[in-house]
Amino acid sequence: MDGKVIVVTSGKGGVGKTTISASIGAAMAMQGKRVAIVDMDIGLRNLDVVMGLENRIVFNIIDIIKGNCKIKQAAIKDRRIDNLYLIPASQSDDKNAIKPENMVWLTNQLRKEFDITLLDCPAGIEQGFKNSIAAADEALVVCTPEVSAVRDADRIIGLLYAQSITPKLIVNRIVPEMVKNGDMLSHEDVVEVLAIDLIGLIEMDDQVVVATNTGTPLVLKEASKAGMALQRIAMRLNGHPDLPIENPMDKKSFWKKLGSKFSRKN
Amino acid sequence: MNHNEDPPVRLKGVGDSLWVSVNPTLPIEQLKKELVKPFERLKHLAINARIIIDTGKDDQESNNRLIEELGSYLKSEFQVGHVTKPTPPKRSVNKNRIRQQDMGNAWHHYRNDGLLIAGRVRSGQIIQAKKHLIILGDLNPGAEVIAGGDIIILGCLQGKASAGQPDNESAIIMALEFKPTQIQIGGFVAAGMADASADRPEFACVENNAIIVDDYIKGNPFRRLAWPEVR
Repeated sequence: MDGKVIVVTSGKGGVGKTTISASIGAAMAMQGKRVAIVDMDIGLRNLDVVMGLENRIVFNIIDIIKGNCKIKQAAIKDRRIDNLYLIPASQSDDKNAIKPENMVWLTNQLRKEFDITLLDCPAGIEQGFKNSIAAADEALVVCTPEVSAVRDADRIIGLLYAQSITPKLIVNRIVPEMVKNGDMLSHEDVVEVLAIDLIGLIEMDDQVVVATNTGTPLVLKEASKAGMALQRIAMRLNGHPDLPIENPMDKKSFWKKLGSKFSRKN
Repeated sequence: MNHNEDPPVRLKGVGDSLWVSVNPTLPIEQLKKELVKPFERLKHLAINARIIIDTGKDDQESNNRLIEELGSYLKSEFQVGHVTKPTPPKRSVNKNRIRQQDMGNAWHHYRNDGLLIAGRVRSGQIIQAKKHLIILGDLNPGAEVIAGGDIIILGCLQGKASAGQPDNESAIIMALEFKPTQIQIGGFVAAGMADASADRPEFACVENNAIIVDDYIKGNPFRRLAWPEVR
Protein backbone atom coordinates (compact mmCIF):
# COMPACT_ATOMS: atom_id res chain seq x y z
CA MET A 1 0.00 0.00 0.00
CA ASP A 2 1.33 3.41 -0.93
CA GLY A 3 -0.74 6.19 0.55
CA LYS A 4 -0.93 9.89 -0.11
CA VAL A 5 0.37 12.59 2.21
CA ILE A 6 -1.63 15.82 2.23
CA VAL A 7 -0.61 18.87 4.21
CA VAL A 8 -3.23 21.37 5.40
CA THR A 9 -1.65 24.77 5.76
CA SER A 10 -2.46 28.49 5.66
CA GLY A 11 0.33 30.70 6.92
CA LYS A 12 -1.98 32.76 9.09
CA GLY A 13 -3.23 31.31 12.34
CA GLY A 14 -6.87 30.84 13.29
CA VAL A 15 -8.29 30.33 9.82
CA GLY A 16 -9.48 26.80 10.52
CA LYS A 17 -6.65 24.45 9.58
CA THR A 18 -7.15 22.15 12.55
CA THR A 19 -10.93 21.97 12.21
CA ILE A 20 -10.64 21.33 8.50
CA SER A 21 -7.96 18.65 8.98
CA ALA A 22 -10.09 16.84 11.55
CA SER A 23 -13.26 17.09 9.46
CA ILE A 24 -11.75 16.10 6.13
CA GLY A 25 -9.95 13.22 7.84
CA ALA A 26 -13.20 12.05 9.43
CA ALA A 27 -15.11 12.40 6.17
CA MET A 28 -12.55 10.43 4.20
CA ALA A 29 -12.52 7.70 6.83
CA MET A 30 -16.32 7.54 6.60
CA GLN A 31 -15.92 7.17 2.83
CA GLY A 32 -13.88 4.06 3.44
CA LYS A 33 -10.25 5.13 3.48
CA ARG A 34 -7.73 4.41 6.21
CA VAL A 35 -6.79 7.87 7.43
CA ALA A 36 -4.12 9.13 9.81
CA ILE A 37 -4.16 12.74 10.93
CA VAL A 38 -0.86 14.00 12.28
CA ASP A 39 -0.77 17.06 14.53
CA MET A 40 2.35 18.97 13.49
CA ASP A 41 1.78 21.81 15.93
CA ILE A 42 4.33 20.58 18.44
CA GLY A 43 4.18 22.52 21.68
CA LEU A 44 0.68 23.88 21.00
CA ARG A 45 -1.33 20.81 20.25
CA ASN A 46 -5.03 21.28 19.53
CA LEU A 47 -6.07 18.55 17.16
CA ASP A 48 -6.61 16.03 19.96
CA VAL A 49 -9.12 18.40 21.60
CA VAL A 50 -10.95 19.09 18.35
CA MET A 51 -11.22 15.35 17.72
CA GLY A 52 -12.20 14.65 21.33
CA LEU A 53 -9.30 12.28 21.92
CA GLU A 54 -7.18 14.27 24.40
CA ASN A 55 -7.75 11.87 27.32
CA ARG A 56 -6.35 8.92 25.38
CA ILE A 57 -2.90 10.25 24.51
CA VAL A 58 -0.09 8.03 25.76
CA PHE A 59 2.65 8.47 23.17
CA ASN A 60 3.13 11.26 20.67
CA ILE A 61 4.98 12.04 17.45
CA ILE A 62 8.22 12.85 19.26
CA ASP A 63 8.15 9.42 20.91
CA ILE A 64 7.78 7.79 17.50
CA ILE A 65 10.69 9.75 16.03
CA LYS A 66 12.92 9.13 19.05
CA GLY A 67 12.09 5.44 18.81
CA ASN A 68 10.39 5.27 22.20
CA CYS A 69 7.33 3.61 20.70
CA LYS A 70 5.94 2.17 17.50
CA ILE A 71 3.57 4.04 15.24
CA LYS A 72 0.74 1.66 16.16
CA GLN A 73 1.21 2.48 19.84
CA ALA A 74 1.05 6.24 19.29
CA ALA A 75 -1.81 6.30 16.75
CA ILE A 76 -5.10 6.80 18.62
CA LYS A 77 -8.08 5.12 17.01
CA ASP A 78 -11.31 7.10 16.89
CA ARG A 79 -14.14 5.07 18.46
CA ARG A 80 -16.96 6.73 16.48
CA ILE A 81 -15.43 6.48 13.02
CA ASP A 82 -13.64 3.40 11.80
CA ASN A 83 -10.28 3.74 10.10
CA LEU A 84 -9.61 7.17 11.59
CA TYR A 85 -6.39 7.60 13.58
CA LEU A 86 -4.72 10.54 15.27
CA ILE A 87 -1.00 10.91 15.84
CA PRO A 88 -0.85 13.62 18.47
CA ALA A 89 1.80 16.28 18.92
CA SER A 90 3.88 16.62 22.03
CA GLN A 91 2.90 19.48 24.29
CA SER A 92 6.25 19.76 26.09
CA ASP A 93 8.67 19.98 23.14
CA ASP A 94 8.91 22.60 20.45
CA LYS A 95 9.01 22.60 16.66
CA ASN A 96 12.79 22.24 16.53
CA ALA A 97 12.55 18.83 18.18
CA ILE A 98 12.03 17.25 14.76
CA LYS A 99 13.67 17.79 11.42
CA PRO A 100 12.37 17.48 7.85
CA GLU A 101 14.31 14.19 7.46
CA ASN A 102 12.43 12.75 10.42
CA MET A 103 9.15 13.65 8.75
CA VAL A 104 10.19 12.03 5.49
CA TRP A 105 10.94 8.85 7.39
CA LEU A 106 7.70 9.03 9.41
CA THR A 107 5.47 9.67 6.39
CA ASN A 108 7.13 6.82 4.51
CA GLN A 109 6.14 4.53 7.39
CA LEU A 110 2.62 5.97 7.42
CA ARG A 111 2.21 5.52 3.66
CA LYS A 112 2.51 1.77 4.18
CA GLU A 113 -0.25 1.73 6.80
CA PHE A 114 -2.71 4.38 5.65
CA ASP A 115 -4.36 5.46 2.40
CA ILE A 116 -4.32 9.09 3.42
CA THR A 117 -2.05 10.90 5.84
CA LEU A 118 -3.21 14.42 6.70
CA LEU A 119 -0.64 16.75 8.23
CA ASP A 120 -2.13 19.58 10.28
CA CYS A 121 0.51 22.27 9.75
CA PRO A 122 1.12 24.96 12.38
CA ALA A 123 0.78 28.64 11.50
CA GLY A 124 3.86 30.44 10.29
CA ILE A 125 6.61 29.58 7.84
CA GLU A 126 9.24 28.42 10.31
CA GLN A 127 10.46 25.00 11.35
CA GLY A 128 6.97 23.55 11.87
CA PHE A 129 5.95 24.51 8.35
CA LYS A 130 9.21 23.22 6.86
CA ASN A 131 8.78 19.91 8.68
CA SER A 132 5.22 19.61 7.41
CA ILE A 133 5.86 20.27 3.75
CA ALA A 134 9.08 18.27 3.54
CA ALA A 135 7.20 15.03 3.01
CA ALA A 136 3.91 16.18 1.50
CA ASP A 137 2.62 15.07 -1.91
CA GLU A 138 -0.27 17.50 -1.98
CA ALA A 139 -1.26 20.63 -0.13
CA LEU A 140 -4.52 22.26 0.85
CA VAL A 141 -4.21 25.97 1.53
CA VAL A 142 -6.90 27.33 3.84
CA CYS A 143 -7.75 30.99 3.51
CA THR A 144 -10.48 33.17 4.98
CA PRO A 145 -11.86 36.07 2.95
CA GLU A 146 -9.66 38.60 4.73
CA VAL A 147 -6.84 40.63 3.23
CA SER A 148 -4.37 39.46 5.89
CA ALA A 149 -5.17 35.78 5.38
CA VAL A 150 -4.91 36.18 1.60
CA ARG A 151 -1.50 37.81 1.94
CA ASP A 152 -0.18 34.96 4.12
CA ALA A 153 -1.73 32.30 1.91
CA ASP A 154 -0.05 33.90 -1.08
CA ARG A 155 3.33 33.61 0.63
CA ILE A 156 2.65 29.99 1.55
CA ILE A 157 1.65 29.19 -2.02
CA GLY A 158 4.93 30.64 -3.26
CA LEU A 159 6.85 28.48 -0.80
CA LEU A 160 4.87 25.38 -1.77
CA TYR A 161 5.55 25.96 -5.47
CA ALA A 162 9.23 26.31 -4.59
CA GLN A 163 8.96 22.76 -3.18
CA SER A 164 7.23 21.58 -6.38
CA ILE A 165 3.92 21.09 -4.57
CA THR A 166 0.85 22.40 -6.41
CA PRO A 167 -1.61 23.48 -3.74
CA LYS A 168 -5.39 23.58 -3.80
CA LEU A 169 -7.43 26.29 -2.14
CA ILE A 170 -10.17 26.13 0.47
CA VAL A 171 -11.92 29.41 1.24
CA ASN A 172 -13.27 29.16 4.77
CA ARG A 173 -15.73 31.23 6.81
CA ILE A 174 -17.62 32.88 4.00
CA VAL A 175 -20.52 35.03 5.24
CA PRO A 176 -22.78 35.36 2.18
CA GLU A 177 -24.65 38.38 3.57
CA MET A 178 -21.45 40.31 4.13
CA VAL A 179 -20.15 39.41 0.68
CA LYS A 180 -23.44 40.56 -0.81
CA ASN A 181 -23.14 43.91 0.99
CA GLY A 182 -19.57 44.31 -0.18
CA ASP A 183 -18.19 44.11 3.37
CA MET A 184 -16.25 40.92 2.74
CA LEU A 185 -14.04 39.68 -0.07
CA SER A 186 -15.83 37.22 -2.30
CA HIS A 187 -14.19 33.89 -3.05
CA GLU A 188 -13.69 35.14 -6.61
CA ASP A 189 -11.57 37.99 -5.25
CA VAL A 190 -9.50 35.53 -3.24
CA VAL A 191 -9.02 33.18 -6.18
CA GLU A 192 -8.09 36.09 -8.41
CA VAL A 193 -5.17 37.03 -6.19
CA LEU A 194 -4.03 33.54 -5.27
CA ALA A 195 -4.53 32.04 -8.74
CA ILE A 196 -4.67 28.38 -7.73
CA ASP A 197 -7.34 25.71 -8.15
CA LEU A 198 -10.25 25.92 -5.77
CA ILE A 199 -11.30 22.70 -4.06
CA GLY A 200 -14.01 23.95 -1.73
CA LEU A 201 -15.93 26.86 -0.23
CA ILE A 202 -16.99 26.70 3.40
CA GLU A 203 -19.64 28.95 4.83
CA MET A 204 -19.42 30.49 8.31
CA ASP A 205 -21.17 28.06 10.65
CA ASP A 206 -21.87 28.29 14.39
CA GLN A 207 -21.97 24.51 14.56
CA VAL A 208 -18.18 24.50 14.19
CA VAL A 209 -17.70 26.09 17.61
CA VAL A 210 -20.02 23.56 19.21
CA ALA A 211 -18.31 20.65 17.48
CA THR A 212 -14.78 21.76 18.42
CA ASN A 213 -15.73 22.40 22.04
CA THR A 214 -17.42 19.05 22.46
CA GLY A 215 -14.88 17.16 20.40
CA THR A 216 -17.46 15.66 18.06
CA PRO A 217 -16.62 15.35 14.35
CA LEU A 218 -18.32 18.12 12.42
CA VAL A 219 -19.12 15.84 9.50
CA LEU A 220 -21.37 13.73 11.73
CA LYS A 221 -23.70 16.73 12.13
CA GLU A 222 -26.15 16.53 9.25
CA ALA A 223 -27.42 20.06 9.87
CA SER A 224 -24.02 21.70 9.57
CA LYS A 225 -23.45 23.56 6.32
CA ALA A 226 -19.72 23.61 6.97
CA GLY A 227 -19.76 19.88 7.70
CA MET A 228 -21.47 19.16 4.39
CA ALA A 229 -19.04 21.37 2.49
CA LEU A 230 -16.16 19.51 4.13
CA GLN A 231 -17.65 16.17 3.16
CA ARG A 232 -17.76 17.28 -0.43
CA ILE A 233 -14.13 18.46 -0.24
CA ALA A 234 -13.22 15.01 1.08
CA MET A 235 -15.05 13.42 -1.86
CA ARG A 236 -13.15 15.62 -4.30
CA LEU A 237 -9.88 14.50 -2.74
CA ASN A 238 -11.17 10.97 -2.71
CA GLY A 239 -11.56 10.23 -6.37
CA HIS A 240 -14.38 12.60 -7.37
CA PRO A 241 -12.42 15.65 -8.47
CA ASP A 242 -15.23 16.89 -10.72
CA LEU A 243 -17.87 17.17 -7.99
CA PRO A 244 -19.17 20.71 -8.54
CA ILE A 245 -18.24 23.33 -5.97
CA GLU A 246 -21.35 24.83 -4.41
CA ASN A 247 -21.28 28.55 -4.09
CA PRO A 248 -22.66 29.65 -0.72
CA MET A 249 -23.81 32.83 -2.42
CA ASP A 250 -26.37 31.31 -4.78
CA LYS A 251 -27.12 28.28 -2.62
CA LYS A 252 -28.99 30.53 -0.21
CA SER A 253 -31.19 32.11 -2.82
CA PHE A 254 -31.91 28.98 -4.88
CA TRP A 255 -32.44 26.26 -2.27
CA LYS A 256 -34.26 28.49 0.19
CA LYS A 257 -36.73 29.60 -2.45
CA LEU A 258 -37.29 26.04 -3.57
CA GLY A 259 -37.68 24.84 0.02
CA SER A 260 -40.17 27.55 0.91
CA LYS A 261 -42.29 26.78 -2.17
CA PHE A 262 -42.61 23.12 -1.21
CA SER A 263 -43.40 23.94 2.40
CA ARG A 264 -46.22 26.28 1.38
CA LYS A 265 -47.85 23.64 -0.77
CA ASN A 266 -47.77 21.17 2.10
CA MET B 1 65.37 58.80 -18.02
CA ASN B 2 65.83 62.37 -19.03
CA HIS B 3 62.60 64.31 -19.14
CA ASN B 4 64.08 67.71 -18.46
CA GLU B 5 64.58 68.78 -22.05
CA ASP B 6 62.60 68.02 -25.15
CA PRO B 7 64.82 67.11 -28.08
CA PRO B 8 65.11 70.19 -30.32
CA VAL B 9 63.63 68.34 -33.32
CA ARG B 10 61.37 65.30 -33.57
CA LEU B 11 60.01 63.70 -36.68
CA LYS B 12 57.20 61.21 -37.15
CA GLY B 13 54.91 60.11 -39.92
CA VAL B 14 51.30 61.22 -39.62
CA GLY B 15 48.94 60.05 -42.37
CA ASP B 16 50.49 61.08 -45.65
CA SER B 17 52.68 63.77 -44.05
CA LEU B 18 55.75 64.10 -41.94
CA TRP B 19 55.12 65.81 -38.65
CA VAL B 20 58.12 67.79 -37.50
CA SER B 21 58.04 69.06 -33.95
CA VAL B 22 60.53 71.77 -33.21
CA ASN B 23 61.43 73.58 -30.05
CA PRO B 24 60.78 77.27 -30.89
CA THR B 25 62.85 78.59 -28.00
CA LEU B 26 66.05 77.51 -29.64
CA PRO B 27 67.81 79.78 -32.16
CA ILE B 28 66.94 79.14 -35.76
CA GLU B 29 70.47 78.19 -36.83
CA GLN B 30 70.59 75.39 -34.25
CA LEU B 31 67.20 74.11 -35.43
CA LYS B 32 68.43 74.01 -39.03
CA LYS B 33 71.47 71.97 -37.92
CA GLU B 34 69.25 69.58 -35.96
CA LEU B 35 66.87 69.18 -38.92
CA VAL B 36 69.69 68.04 -41.16
CA LYS B 37 70.25 64.81 -39.21
CA PRO B 38 66.80 63.21 -39.59
CA PHE B 39 66.22 64.51 -43.12
CA GLU B 40 69.56 63.17 -44.34
CA ARG B 41 68.53 59.78 -43.00
CA LEU B 42 65.24 60.01 -44.93
CA LYS B 43 67.15 60.50 -48.23
CA HIS B 44 64.80 60.26 -51.19
CA LEU B 45 61.70 59.85 -48.95
CA ALA B 46 61.93 63.55 -48.16
CA ILE B 47 61.57 64.55 -51.81
CA ASN B 48 58.17 66.02 -52.47
CA ALA B 49 56.96 65.00 -48.99
CA ARG B 50 54.28 66.98 -47.23
CA ILE B 51 55.75 68.53 -44.12
CA ILE B 52 53.88 69.87 -41.11
CA ILE B 53 55.98 71.96 -38.77
CA ASP B 54 54.66 72.07 -35.24
CA THR B 55 56.12 74.63 -32.89
CA GLY B 56 53.79 73.58 -30.11
CA LYS B 57 52.41 77.09 -29.78
CA ASP B 58 49.39 78.95 -31.04
CA ASP B 59 49.57 81.08 -34.15
CA GLN B 60 51.85 84.01 -33.64
CA GLU B 61 53.85 86.26 -35.90
CA SER B 62 57.18 84.83 -34.78
CA ASN B 63 55.92 81.31 -35.13
CA ASN B 64 54.76 81.89 -38.67
CA ARG B 65 58.08 83.41 -39.61
CA LEU B 66 59.96 80.49 -38.03
CA ILE B 67 57.84 77.98 -39.93
CA GLU B 68 58.27 79.93 -43.17
CA GLU B 69 62.03 80.10 -42.82
CA LEU B 70 62.44 76.46 -41.82
CA GLY B 71 60.11 75.51 -44.69
CA SER B 72 62.12 77.31 -47.31
CA TYR B 73 65.31 75.85 -45.83
CA LEU B 74 63.90 72.32 -46.09
CA LYS B 75 62.60 72.95 -49.60
CA SER B 76 66.02 74.14 -50.83
CA GLU B 77 68.09 71.52 -48.99
CA PHE B 78 65.94 68.37 -49.25
CA GLN B 79 63.44 69.15 -52.06
CA VAL B 80 60.44 68.62 -49.80
CA GLY B 81 57.03 69.39 -51.27
CA HIS B 82 54.52 71.31 -49.24
CA VAL B 83 55.24 72.86 -45.86
CA THR B 84 52.40 73.97 -43.58
CA LYS B 85 51.71 74.61 -39.96
CA PRO B 86 49.43 72.20 -38.12
CA THR B 87 45.74 72.84 -38.75
CA PRO B 88 43.36 72.47 -35.84
CA PRO B 89 41.58 69.08 -35.91
CA LYS B 90 38.59 69.19 -38.19
CA ARG B 91 35.26 69.58 -36.45
CA SER B 92 32.49 67.57 -37.97
CA VAL B 93 30.12 70.01 -39.58
CA ASN B 94 26.87 68.17 -38.88
CA LYS B 95 27.75 66.60 -35.59
CA ASN B 96 24.29 67.16 -34.26
CA ARG B 97 22.58 65.49 -37.16
CA ILE B 98 24.98 62.57 -37.10
CA ARG B 99 24.31 62.03 -33.44
CA GLN B 100 20.58 62.12 -34.05
CA GLN B 101 20.91 59.57 -36.81
CA ASP B 102 22.99 57.40 -34.53
CA MET B 103 20.35 57.56 -31.86
CA GLY B 104 17.68 56.80 -34.40
CA ASN B 105 19.46 53.59 -35.25
CA ALA B 106 20.76 52.90 -31.78
CA TRP B 107 18.75 49.72 -31.29
CA HIS B 108 20.67 48.04 -34.10
CA HIS B 109 23.70 47.77 -31.88
CA TYR B 110 21.94 47.78 -28.53
CA ARG B 111 22.41 44.88 -26.19
CA ASN B 112 19.29 44.41 -24.11
CA ASP B 113 19.89 44.62 -20.40
CA GLY B 114 16.28 44.59 -19.25
CA LEU B 115 14.79 41.71 -17.30
CA LEU B 116 11.65 40.12 -18.70
CA ILE B 117 9.73 37.83 -16.38
CA ALA B 118 6.53 35.90 -16.92
CA GLY B 119 4.31 34.70 -14.08
CA ARG B 120 2.75 35.80 -10.87
CA VAL B 121 4.98 37.38 -8.23
CA ARG B 122 3.66 36.29 -4.85
CA SER B 123 3.82 37.76 -1.38
CA GLY B 124 7.31 37.57 0.09
CA GLN B 125 9.03 37.27 -3.25
CA ILE B 126 11.45 40.01 -4.29
CA ILE B 127 12.62 40.55 -7.85
CA GLN B 128 15.56 42.83 -8.52
CA ALA B 129 16.69 44.05 -11.92
CA LYS B 130 19.79 46.07 -12.71
CA LYS B 131 17.96 48.07 -15.34
CA HIS B 132 14.42 47.84 -16.70
CA LEU B 133 12.01 45.21 -15.43
CA ILE B 134 9.04 43.87 -17.34
CA ILE B 135 6.63 41.44 -15.73
CA LEU B 136 4.10 39.55 -17.80
CA GLY B 137 1.77 38.76 -14.94
CA ASP B 138 0.48 40.12 -11.68
CA LEU B 139 2.33 41.46 -8.66
CA ASN B 140 0.44 40.34 -5.55
CA PRO B 141 0.21 42.34 -2.33
CA GLY B 142 3.30 41.74 -0.23
CA ALA B 143 5.51 41.13 -3.24
CA GLU B 144 8.26 43.58 -4.15
CA VAL B 145 10.06 44.54 -7.35
CA ILE B 146 13.13 46.76 -7.54
CA ALA B 147 14.67 48.05 -10.75
CA GLY B 148 17.43 50.43 -11.74
CA GLY B 149 15.26 51.69 -14.59
CA ASP B 150 11.59 51.44 -15.49
CA ILE B 151 9.11 48.88 -14.22
CA ILE B 152 6.43 47.72 -16.60
CA ILE B 153 3.82 45.30 -15.39
CA LEU B 154 1.53 43.78 -17.98
CA GLY B 155 -0.95 42.74 -15.35
CA CYS B 156 -2.15 43.98 -12.01
CA LEU B 157 0.29 45.81 -9.74
CA GLN B 158 -0.77 45.32 -6.12
CA GLY B 159 2.55 45.02 -4.33
CA LYS B 160 5.45 47.39 -3.87
CA ALA B 161 7.40 48.69 -6.84
CA SER B 162 10.65 50.67 -6.68
CA ALA B 163 11.88 52.05 -9.99
CA GLY B 164 15.00 54.04 -10.79
CA GLN B 165 16.89 52.81 -7.77
CA PRO B 166 18.93 54.39 -6.35
CA ASP B 167 18.71 57.83 -7.99
CA ASN B 168 17.14 57.76 -11.45
CA GLU B 169 14.18 60.08 -11.15
CA SER B 170 13.28 59.86 -14.81
CA ALA B 171 12.15 56.24 -14.41
CA ILE B 172 8.48 55.31 -14.69
CA ILE B 173 6.28 52.58 -13.29
CA MET B 174 3.54 51.34 -15.58
CA ALA B 175 0.86 48.74 -15.00
CA LEU B 176 -2.27 47.67 -16.81
CA GLU B 177 -4.04 47.74 -13.46
CA PHE B 178 -2.41 50.16 -11.08
CA LYS B 179 -3.21 49.36 -7.43
CA PRO B 180 0.16 49.41 -5.65
CA THR B 181 0.64 49.35 -1.89
CA GLN B 182 3.61 51.66 -2.31
CA ILE B 183 5.76 52.97 -5.12
CA GLN B 184 9.21 54.53 -5.18
CA ILE B 185 10.90 56.36 -8.01
CA GLY B 186 14.47 57.37 -7.29
CA GLY B 187 14.29 58.86 -3.82
CA PHE B 188 10.58 59.68 -3.91
CA VAL B 189 8.03 57.54 -2.13
CA ALA B 190 4.27 57.44 -2.56
CA ALA B 191 1.72 55.34 -0.74
CA GLY B 192 -0.90 53.57 -2.79
CA MET B 193 -4.44 54.79 -2.53
CA ALA B 194 -7.09 52.35 -1.39
CA ASP B 195 -9.70 53.46 -3.89
CA ALA B 196 -7.42 53.77 -6.90
CA SER B 197 -9.10 51.25 -9.13
CA ALA B 198 -9.24 52.64 -12.63
CA ASP B 199 -9.29 49.63 -14.91
CA ARG B 200 -7.07 51.41 -17.38
CA PRO B 201 -3.33 51.28 -17.84
CA GLU B 202 -1.72 53.90 -15.65
CA PHE B 203 1.82 55.01 -15.02
CA ALA B 204 3.70 56.90 -12.32
CA CYS B 205 6.54 59.34 -12.82
CA VAL B 206 8.23 62.17 -10.96
CA GLU B 207 7.05 65.66 -11.77
CA ASN B 208 7.81 68.81 -9.71
CA ASN B 209 9.46 66.75 -6.99
CA ALA B 210 6.47 64.52 -6.45
CA ILE B 211 5.22 61.25 -7.82
CA ILE B 212 2.17 61.61 -10.02
CA VAL B 213 -0.02 58.90 -11.49
CA ASP B 214 -1.68 59.40 -14.85
CA ASP B 215 -3.64 57.51 -17.46
CA TYR B 216 -1.09 55.91 -19.73
CA ILE B 217 -3.09 56.27 -22.93
CA LYS B 218 -3.88 59.94 -22.38
CA GLY B 219 -0.70 61.06 -20.70
CA ASN B 220 1.79 58.87 -22.50
CA PRO B 221 5.10 60.52 -21.58
CA PHE B 222 6.97 59.14 -24.58
CA ARG B 223 4.62 60.34 -27.27
CA ARG B 224 6.41 63.67 -27.29
CA LEU B 225 9.74 62.12 -28.24
CA ALA B 226 10.51 62.89 -31.87
CA TRP B 227 12.88 59.98 -32.32
CA PRO B 228 12.62 56.43 -31.15
CA GLU B 229 15.49 56.09 -28.77
CA VAL B 230 16.98 53.54 -26.49
CA ARG B 231 15.87 54.05 -22.92
